[in-house]
Amino acid sequence: MADHRALQYRAEHLAGAFPPILVAAQRVAATVLQGVHGRRRVGMGETFWQFRPYEPGDPVQRIDWRQSAKRERAFIRQTEWEAAQTVWLWRDSSRSMDYRSHLSQTEKGERATLLALALCALLLRGGEHVAFAGDPRKFTGRNALERAAAAFARIVERGNDGVPPQIPLPRHARIVLIGDFLAPLKETERAVRALAARGVTGHLLQVLDPAEESLPFQGRTLFEGLENDGALLVRRTENLRAAYAARMRTHRDALAALARAAGWTLAAHHTDHPAEAALLPLYVALAERPGI
Amino acid sequence: MWSLGPLAFGAPWLLAALIALPALWWLLRATPPAPRRVRFPALRLLMGLKQEDETPARTPWWLLLLRFTIAALLIVGLARPLLNPGSPLSGTGPLLLIVDDGWAAARDWTARSRALDMLLDHAEQENRKVALVTTAPHVGANPADPQPFTDAVTIRQRVKALAPEPWPVDRRAVLERLEKMTPPDGVETWWLADSFDDGNAAALAERLARFGPLTVAEDSPARRPRLMLAPSVDAGGLMVRVRRFATDGEETIMVRGTAADGRLLTREPLRFEPDQADGSKLLALPPEVRNQVERIEIEGEASAGATALLDERWRRRVVGVAALRSEGRSMPLLGEAYYLEKALAPYSEVRVGPIDALLAQPPSMLIMPDSGAVPENEVRALENWMKAGGVLVRFAGAHLAQGGDELVPVALRRGGRALGGAMSWAQPARLAPFPETSPFTGLTVPADVTVDRQVLAQPGPDLEGKTWARLADGTPLVTGERRGNGWLVLFHVTANPDWSNLAISGLFVEMLQRLVALGAGSAGEEGAGALPPLTLLDGFGRLGPPRPGTRPIPGRDFLQARVSPETPPGLYGTASARRALNLAGSVGELSLLPALPAGAAHHLLAEDGEVDLQPWLLTLALVLAIVDALVSLTLRGYLAFRVPSSMRRAAILILLGGSAVFTLPMGQGSAQSLSDPTAAALRATSQMRLAYVRTGNAEVDYTSRTGLQGLRKALQDRTSVELGDSLEVDIARDELAFFPILYWPLGRAPLTLTPDTISRVYAYIRNGGMILFDTQNQGGIGASTPDASVPGLQRFLSRLNLAPLVPIPADHVLARSFYLLSEFPGRWNAGTVYVEAKGDGKDDEAVSSIILGGNDWAAAWAVGDQGQPLFPVVPGGERQREMAYRFGVNVVMYALTGNYKSDQVHLRFILERLGQ
Repeated sequence: MADHRALQYRAEHLAGAFPPILVAAQRVAATVLQGVHGRRRVGMGETFWQFRPYEPGDPVQRIDWRQSAKRERAFIRQTEWEAAQTVWLWRDSSRSMDYRSHLSQTEKGERATLLALALCALLLRGGEHVAFAGDPRKFTGRNALERAAAAFARIVERGNDGVPPQIPLPRHARIVLIGDFLAPLKETERAVRALAARGVTGHLLQVLDPAEESLPFQGRTLFEGLENDGALLVRRTENLRAAYAARMRTHRDALAALARAAGWTLAAHHTDHPAEAALLPLYVALAERPGI
Repeated sequence: MWSLGPLAFGAPWLLAALIALPALWWLLRATPPAPRRVRFPALRLLMGLKQEDETPARTPWWLLLLRFTIAALLIVGLARPLLNPGSPLSGTGPLLLIVDDGWAAARDWTARSRALDMLLDHAEQENRKVALVTTAPHVGANPADPQPFTDAVTIRQRVKALAPEPWPVDRRAVLERLEKMTPPDGVETWWLADSFDDGNAAALAERLARFGPLTVAEDSPARRPRLMLAPSVDAGGLMVRVRRFATDGEETIMVRGTAADGRLLTREPLRFEPDQADGSKLLALPPEVRNQVERIEIEGEASAGATALLDERWRRRVVGVAALRSEGRSMPLLGEAYYLEKALAPYSEVRVGPIDALLAQPPSMLIMPDSGAVPENEVRALENWMKAGGVLVRFAGAHLAQGGDELVPVALRRGGRALGGAMSWAQPARLAPFPETSPFTGLTVPADVTVDRQVLAQPGPDLEGKTWARLADGTPLVTGERRGNGWLVLFHVTANPDWSNLAISGLFVEMLQRLVALGAGSAGEEGAGALPPLTLLDGFGRLGPPRPGTRPIPGRDFLQARVSPETPPGLYGTASARRALNLAGSVGELSLLPALPAGAAHHLLAEDGEVDLQPWLLTLALVLAIVDALVSLTLRGYLAFRVPSSMRRAAILILLGGSAVFTLPMGQGSAQSLSDPTAAALRATSQMRLAYVRTGNAEVDYTSRTGLQGLRKALQDRTSVELGDSLEVDIARDELAFFPILYWPLGRAPLTLTPDTISRVYAYIRNGGMILFDTQNQGGIGASTPDASVPGLQRFLSRLNLAPLVPIPADHVLARSFYLLSEFPGRWNAGTVYVEAKGDGKDDEAVSSIILGGNDWAAAWAVGDQGQPLFPVVPGGERQREMAYRFGVNVVMYALTGNYKSDQVHLRFILERLGQ
């Protein structure tokens, strides 16, 4: 009984928290969306693409009688191919995402959720299917966003270890991974390799706090991890800044190399920048490589 | 005691702790300040980074130095360091202390008590007996003086209680007492003298030198006392005189004049030339400031001798202005008393009141504005007072012109005369220059002072001699006559601008000042009664309550009184009539101590005594410790120098929220009962409101409430008058002053009001209020006068001291203050409406305080919740209701703007609108 109540309370709490983020996601999506994207080629779909003179072998049912009546030849009507694809979304919901430094207004996790949902909204409007890693359901149609958001919230609530999942995806599926990718490179690499081996195309979006980029601390500082990964006493943080920046660069270069090797893309985003800035390249990347 | 050059330590063994400092240094170095804690997700990237700075984190060297200094200061401070130690005592026998504690010792009393402390310190350390003799006399004798030699601790108690007395020392008495004393062997004598020879100093020194070794300590030349002599009143201010030792060099001192409440009124330098004994300085002060000076003192010299107190003899004269019963009720700002007060107040103390009350404490001058006949007993009292030197100044006016009394310097013609005006060829008269014999002679006559009306004197042989000011045509304007020691003066015009603009000219002020100067000072008339001490000066020149043993001074002997222990300097008399007794009158020339007898040592009371450095060092250590704490907190990151904006915002929100919580109840005026006076006042004044008088009859009150509601709506729709909800007032209890106009339905019930209520209503209309009386009886059909229909109304109105009531004249402002009206209907349209009659030509400004009618206006105005009229109008027609509203608008406008519309400026537009 108590469990049920607690669950209900949490669900309501989440549902209560989500509309604002949904609105924000919709807003972000609206600035990016340029319209439903066709495949710009003949195929299955509802939108008219072109008329083509009838050739033997074409099904008779395709002949457009109105068009043919105007001319001497018979024409068949072709529609644009509007293949719906399924895009899997995954968000790092490890504890390291619950971080916000004094340089930023939002937590990394919050920004990641916003990006994921905004992308979800965009994809749903574009007629694509959206699924979340860790949830068997697929969402489609414009009205599915709310349900998708609730499902996503539940997944985020459950948390994960910050390493991309090794889930059985259909071949040639697409996946968008959003996280800080601060986990050891080997684990990330293993996961990406496994996915890429199945022909899955992916996009990595690294969301970082500006403080993680610049290490803006002074003097004697005791750093404590967020995932029980110990503490580190640094006597002069300012002296460590250059070394840290170099290591961060190395880490990102390694991630980029990993992505490139798999044919994936890597983008970095800082929480002190607007969410739109990250969403647009991601969306373009998804849109520009159709049909793979 | 362990000394080190000029430095000695009281507890030198504590210095051993300094050895521990290096250990402290090591400890401080080993424990760095705690690090700042930061949560950081990218910890993995930080892990294993090689830290280039391999030296262990250390307290910065400057912080280390700071802490080191703190510790050293503590140790040295606790070791009780003393600067300039040294024993001034030579022998080993008992110590005899002679202390001058008269007024002259006050200036450098701190040096004196320090020297005493020092002597007692050493006597205590050397275990010597001490005896103390003070030279200033005390009330009664000094019974226990000289005391037997006793230990220093006991003497220290007496020294602590020792303070300079505000009178001179009496060395002769001390000499006599010392003669009787047989000093023990080997006695060493110290005389802390006050550098001032009273003629017996040489003898005393001689006597003391015979006891044994003698040291005479006296003030250093720069710290010798000075004496403030009684200042004198001069034309331009106060002449201050200060006396000092004639042999002193060039010197400039600051002299301060302060008021009774301690405000500094003036501060001027006073310069002494070398070898000049008496210096003087004129404190140039305007009279109104000079009159406030209560005390003059030398800056930086806290002593009874450097202080002079001023009493009434230095102060301004008291002028009484008779408040007469016939003085106008409605316009206090036009009353004669107002002009007189304004003219006199800067230079004199003005008291206003009935004549008998004023004469109870006779002023030096008494002014009577225009009045009718003065009662016989008051005439007698005034005559007596004038004989004793009082100056009575009367002003003419309508009452006096109608036939006065005997209290005038010259016989007057009845009626007076008017100059200028519409029906006269004559121009307003100007003033002629003042005659040589007049007290006003020398005053410049401005060309723009004119006289429109005046009372005329009967020509007589002595008229010429009594005339102090006359008009250009030779008629007297001011006449005066000697009465006993005093004067009787008559201005033949009013003291307000009704008859002449003299009252608003600067000449008027100057003339009154001259008249004030005629009168004797009010001080010195207290008679021969004894003056009890009121507040007395102590040796440091501070005023305090009289001490036991002081006695009153007989009034007639006061000027000869000398300062003594029984009569210390200070203020005597009563709070209203004070006399100042100053020390300076009892001190003659100042002369230095004579040459000391051979063998006597001379010592200057200087600043450089033994100085205990302990408190200074410990304070410095504390300050440094606070600095250290702040620095440590900053280093650990606990102390942000910038307050984050979110915190600031939160603070503002909390403040706003808090204030909102507190203001909310105030805003909810409707929830408050009118019984709470503050809430009622807030409610009544937060917006302008109409009010009606509660009758207790529910029906009438309902009509009044809805009526004023309707009127308010009409005003809101048609005019720029924005009113709040109407209020109901209890005429007997609620404050009326908040409302520009009161609607008072009278009904048929008899009007029974307590005298208290009547005086409240009287005060209300006198202060500019207006009352709309509504008898609601159709104008009193069947009654001959409007007010006869309501029992008691006539009597009530007669108490209000109103002008006669007349039907509203056709040209009355009430008929054109907003709308042009020819009738004033309410629910009925039958009755006449009455207002106060306007006075004669000059009284055009009057606004009627009363509007009285019986048309039941509230019923015509009354509207329900939907704005529908509640009562039919009789004989009827919406035109009548409209006229009723227009009347209501006019009444409110009249109440708010007064006779603004009667201004001739508007006449042209009104005529245009009338199509004429």
